[in-house]
Amino acid sequence: MNRSFSITRRLVLTVLLLELLAAVGLVTAVTVHERNVQLKAFDANLRGNVDALMGAVQDAEDEGDNVMLDLRGVRLPPHAIYRVEDEHGHLLGSAGTLPQLPPASESIQHIRVAGRSYRFFTYRGERIIDPGKNGGIRHDITILYGIPDGHVWHEVLEAVRFFAIATAVLLGITAVLMAWLVRRWLHPIHELAFEAGRISSLEWRFDAPASARRISELRPLATALEAALTRLELAFEQQKRFTNDAAHELKTDLAIVKSSLQLLSMKKRTPEEYSRGLALSLDDFTRLQQSSPFAALRRITVSVNAASDIRVPLDNRDAVLLCSNILVNALQHSPEDATVHLDLSCDGARIRLTVRDHGEGIRDEDHKFLFEPFYRGDPSRSRKSGGTGLGLSICKAVCNRAGGSIEIMNHPEGGALVTVVLPVSESLRRQEISASLKA
Amino acid sequence: MRLLLVEDEQRLAENIAEALRETGLAVDHAADGRTGSHLAEQGVYDAIVLDLMLPEKSGQRVLKDLRQNKLHTPVLILTAQEGKESVIELLNGGADDYLAKPFDLGELIARVKALIRRGKGVSTAIFTVSDVELNTIQQTVVRRGHSIDLSPTEYRILEYLAHRPRAIVSKQELLEHLYDFEWEHHSNVIEAHVSNLRRKLNIPGTEILIETLRHRGYRLREETQL
Repeated sequence: MNRSFSITRRLVLTVLLLELLAAVGLVTAVTVHERNVQLKAFDANLRGNVDALMGAVQDAEDEGDNVMLDLRGVRLPPHAIYRVEDEHGHLLGSAGTLPQLPPASESIQHIRVAGRSYRFFTYRGERIIDPGKNGGIRHDITILYGIPDGHVWHEVLEAVRFFAIATAVLLGITAVLMAWLVRRWLHPIHELAFEAGRISSLEWRFDAPASARRISELRPLATALEAALTRLELAFEQQKRFTNDAAHELKTDLAIVKSSLQLLSMKKRTPEEYSRGLALSLDDFTRLQQSSPFAALRRITVSVNAASDIRVPLDNRDAVLLCSNILVNALQHSPEDATVHLDLSCDGARIRLTVRDHGEGIRDEDHKFLFEPFYRGDPSRSRKSGGTGLGLSICKAVCNRAGGSIEIMNHPEGGALVTVVLPVSESLRRQEISASLKA
Repeated sequence: MRLLLVEDEQRLAENIAEALRETGLAVDHAADGRTGSHLAEQGVYDAIVLDLMLPEKSGQRVLKDLRQNKLHTPVLILTAQEGKESVIELLNGGADDYLAKPFDLGELIARVKALIRRGKGVSTAIFTVSDVELNTIQQTVVRRGHSIDLSPTEYRILEYLAHRPRAIVSKQELLEHLYDFEWEHHSNVIEAHVSNLRRKLNIPGTEILIETLRHRGYRLREETQL
């Protein structure tokens, strides 16, 4: 199924096949036509000979006023077969072995005689002798005349052969010409392929060659390729940024933990120093979940409008994590002196927590990556204000586990709006909103 | 020796600073690029450890400005970035060494010390000035086979002078290079330490090693050097 084929070859072969069919048709037509023409000439010749024979029927100058055949001055082709009779059935003259002919036929017939193809003409005509005397004496003369028609076919074949050879030569020339032309016309495909072949993860630039753009069939392909590559490059760049960021975060965290432990082991220390150092190291380990209290620092007001006494299927830790991450995120993206609106409502089956800030909102290109681990919309990254880049991905994990959902969109009046929807349960209370606000 | 650490990650900076102080260096810490740049351009540091990803001013810019101001302080770059190109670019841009995060604290210390040594024209960690042998790793001093027990400050004064033999080192310079901002200090502290140091180094049959030049400072004599 997956055998490859060449368009060039297919095109050339198809056109050649069609040409060949046309040539065969033409040759056939020419053959038929040539045969007709040749036969017509042949028959005219046949009739001419018969006329000459008729002319050779002369007055025998006897008392019966009979006629005779005087062949002097009459030139007949070789192998001619003929028989001349008068109305009484008297044979006036003959040559060759006459075949049995259907009687009373006065037309041209095609008969084989002694292995040779003959054309016979039967002629009945009258010959009037001494027309001056009493109107003369009428003789009904029947002439059967045939000559081999082999050379007619020879002539036809000769003509057709010339024609066939000429056609074959032309066919050959067009084949070569066409192969060259098709190759030439398909060259833009090769150029396009060459250009596309140079693309690598290091070199994403792709400019479709002008030759490919000029061809209407190739233009969509070239454009599609360019668009796809641009998108790919963008995605690749983004991915690279994620991994770089992730690597940077992890390396820095690892450097902290490692240096804490190495500092501890640099020399002998007292048990107190060891325990203090270990506690610090442990702190370093847990810093991934750390969020700094800076709502007050940046004079941001948090307005809370919360329905009370709702329970959701989250444990205390997860709930704190979820709320504090969203809130810290909102605080980080708020300008100073701004307000963050926090709204919690319940419709009986689901709770709906919305957090709205008055920051710069979400850029479109960041939107679909916001919940990816280590993603940061803002590339100028100070770890102090930027957190670890894990916050929202943790929130998403928490919400998914609880059978809820989380999404972020831009508020129509500016700023970002985070909406968390969670199913209501009987198990736990959400008191921690106020707790995390104090943080 | 006094070192400047420019690193925005608080915990990492604390660890590095503490480790470096334990090896006898005075360490100042700047938490952002702008402060780091200001401090570095004072020209009182014997080495600078510079992070690249800094708030306010990137490490690359700090380095560039430093070199543009004709300051030749050795700089060791700390980086979490991948890629050889950036390393090459940094070294060509005036950095003297680099370490990729997460690094080994011991390696960082060794590299910093090597940079300081090189900056003073000394190639090994154990070296001899006059008839005194200094081991900058163990921080021990031996004169004519006698081990001399010095306090950390005395040792640091001697080490600094030993790195600049025959040069006149003012009290101000000693203050600048031996103490970081966290130290309470004034100039007569130096006088007391130097006098103690001179007394401890005074082994019978030897010449005075540290000369005092009135109103100018101190000088380590080196005439017995072969």
